[in-house]
Amino acid sequence: MSGVLTAMDSSTRARPFPLLVRLFIARVFRGSGSSEDTELDLSIGLILALLALPGAFYSLFLLEKYSTLLQWMHGQKELDPLAGALPDEYFFIVISMVVTGVVAVWRWDSIFPDRRDYANLVPLPISLRSIFLANLAAILLLALLLAVDVNAASAVLFPLVVSASENTLSFFLHFVGVHTFVVVLASVFSFCTVFAIVGALMIVVPYSSFRRISFYLRASLLACLVAMLSTSFTVPAMLGSLPRTYVRFLPPVWFLGLCQLLRGRATAPFASMGHIALFSVLIIGIVGFVTYALSYRRHFVRIPETVDVSAMADRDGGIWLFRVADRSFLRSPFQRAAFRFAIKTLLRSEQHGLVLGAFFGLGIVVVCQFLFTSLSGGRLELAGDASPDILAIPLALSYCVILGLRFAFEIPTDLRANWVFRLHIDHTTKECVSLAQRVILTFVLPWIASVVLPVYVYFWGWRVGIVHAIVVALCSLLLTQILLRNFRKIPFTCSYPPFGQSSVLLALFYVMGFFAFVSLVSHLEHWVLRSLLGTIVMIVAMAVACIVVPRVGHDEENVEDTLLFEEHAPVAFDLLDLRKGS
Amino acid sequence: MLEAHGLTKSYASVVAVKDVSFTLARGQVLGCLGPNGSGKSTTVKMLIGLLEPSGGKVLFNGEDIHEDLAGFRKLLGYVPEEPNLYPYLSGHEYLEMIGLLRGIPQATLGKKMNSLLHLFSLDAHRHASLASYSKGMRQRILLIAALMDDPKLLIFDEPLSGLDVTTALVLKNLIRELGQQGRAVFYCSHVLEVVEQVCSHLLILRKGEVLAYGTTEAIQHNVEHSSLEKAFVHMIEEVDTNQIARDVICAMEGQ
Repeated sequence: MSGVLTAMDSSTRARPFPLLVRLFIARVFRGSGSSEDTELDLSIGLILALLALPGAFYSLFLLEKYSTLLQWMHGQKELDPLAGALPDEYFFIVISMVVTGVVAVWRWDSIFPDRRDYANLVPLPISLRSIFLANLAAILLLALLLAVDVNAASAVLFPLVVSASENTLSFFLHFVGVHTFVVVLASVFSFCTVFAIVGALMIVVPYSSFRRISFYLRASLLACLVAMLSTSFTVPAMLGSLPRTYVRFLPPVWFLGLCQLLRGRATAPFASMGHIALFSVLIIGIVGFVTYALSYRRHFVRIPETVDVSAMADRDGGIWLFRVADRSFLRSPFQRAAFRFAIKTLLRSEQHGLVLGAFFGLGIVVVCQFLFTSLSGGRLELAGDASPDILAIPLALSYCVILGLRFAFEIPTDLRANWVFRLHIDHTTKECVSLAQRVILTFVLPWIASVVLPVYVYFWGWRVGIVHAIVVALCSLLLTQILLRNFRKIPFTCSYPPFGQSSVLLALFYVMGFFAFVSLVSHLEHWVLRSLLGTIVMIVAMAVACIVVPRVGHDEENVEDTLLFEEHAPVAFDLLDLRKGS
Repeated sequence: MLEAHGLTKSYASVVAVKDVSFTLARGQVLGCLGPNGSGKSTTVKMLIGLLEPSGGKVLFNGEDIHEDLAGFRKLLGYVPEEPNLYPYLSGHEYLEMIGLLRGIPQATLGKKMNSLLHLFSLDAHRHASLASYSKGMRQRILLIAALMDDPKLLIFDEPLSGLDVTTALVLKNLIRELGQQGRAVFYCSHVLEVVEQVCSHLLILRKGEVLAYGTTEAIQHNVEHSSLEKAFVHMIEEVDTNQIARDVICAMEGQ
């Protein structure tokens, strides 16, 4: 009787497995719940749409290349769409790997079950095996969802664009099939690789060190992914020399080989790359599963035995830096307190560190591009004047670091803890801009003085070295001032501004700003370095600009007088409360 | 010292606090009681200037606190209900930040931090991240942060939450001592027996309104109950706690 009752009882109870899977998937999009208010407030639909955007946009840009009318107008009589699509196919493979990889790196903490899951799930009558399997199922579903979503738009648009010149449905369908299979497989490979690398770290490193090391590892992974993105412009030109060239080690090339193999157009090197792609997906899948299972056993099951730690600096690390800063450029108690807070947040908060790492990675990629273009026959041209490309290197890095810091300032950290600032700070303080400026320059000026100056002096002489260090420093100061106009926040303490209508415009402004800050300045500097007078005029003009720019158009009357701790989306229309007047 | 005059706070059509008035003089410990949703936290937030009242005002030494909010807060020590801290900072770094924000000279700050961390038994954990602290340890950090600048007015919102027995006893004595030394203390709590022991005056809120206000003895005397717990239950009159306990058992058994 009791057995029947038990059976009836269990049949009427909700099955926990699907619920657990849903829980694990949802928190990847919504955060782990530890600090909901610091997460970007985006719906799942919007996140998925944003992830699909790069592929969709690029497909549309390709319309010009494959349009038969435009080809005819350009005088191109016969274009082999499959041969012509090779560089673009490479780009789509790269973009699917990069976007999926970035998401996996970014949301790693939410993918793996943590202390909160342990506290909530383990006391329930659910076996650890069920939690493990549910999390594994969620991870697999997530990998598939990401892979399909990232490539959803391009899987249709790109074949549509390419097959514009071919009128057969079979060509289109075959192209769609191969393209979709390859890019989805590339995404899965990327996801599993990140998973395997971080999982392996969890097995090897003690938990107390893991958090700290994982932060640097993830930042490096981000930089690598961004660097991989930059290969889309250079690698297609080198494919002809396969397998001799080093590009054979790049995973996107393997998947391009697979693509060619499936289309029946693979040369011998491409065919071998294709086989490597299939083999690597299999291997990385197995490795990912094994590392996950082992890290689950090592990490999750032993959570009660470990202490929750966050990435922390050593006990005395950096104290001397703050003492020096206190004596030199931090004038008020507010600046001293908020400067310490800002620096520690940037160095210890994973979210902010990853943002900064991504921008720094972008900077490194751009620097590499400049270095490559400066290479002449494999050697750096050191004789004679420093070329504009050489001069652009520190400018590009500085631009990316400053932009990354400015962007990171907008991302809040533990928003509910900002009551400390709300309570202890005079809300009419005017010191926010100078504080943010000091934080940014702390990340820029030291390496200008310690790396840029000696390197340029060593290779191109005292004059070029000193002038260039001054120019980079002044440009950085000017850019910082422009980016911090009307800044009324303590970094990291204000709720994240929602994506406004001006976001796209702002992105365009940043891209154009790059050309003005890097290309224009480096060419101008290269030109004025020929004469002493020109050099002096340029430096004086920039110094004057640094003094004038913060004042021009700065309307004290119209600038908000109080500190911002909450930022709301601008409303489409305002209601005029006319009753007040009546 | 601190006066609330007709404090009211509305959110759209919902009135969270309505016409709350009281006076907190130097040397007094005013206990604020009320069930969940009675408006205690909203009142506290208005008292410290984190929330702008929809009506009424808060006076400190006869002046509206919003006329010199920074000056008022310099004399205020506040322990919030929830220990929301920056988890990646260490206890030492957090206190240093608070001290600097309050404008405590660095030499004095170091000395004060050392003694308070030692007295609250956090010396050994001062360089550990706040993420690794237990709730009680975080609460102790908040207490140190509130006391560090020798405030004249202290506002505690559930300060005993998560504290171990010894620290809770220390805090009870400390609150009494603070009152005796001439500081004003506003103390919100759910723990009735502690309020009864340490508070000279009581403010009881229900649904955002003042239900009773006066000395602890007077309130107990008025409702003719021997303990504050009985007096509180008598006044709130919202629920029959015994009946609810019985109903919970029934619900557990599926009846």
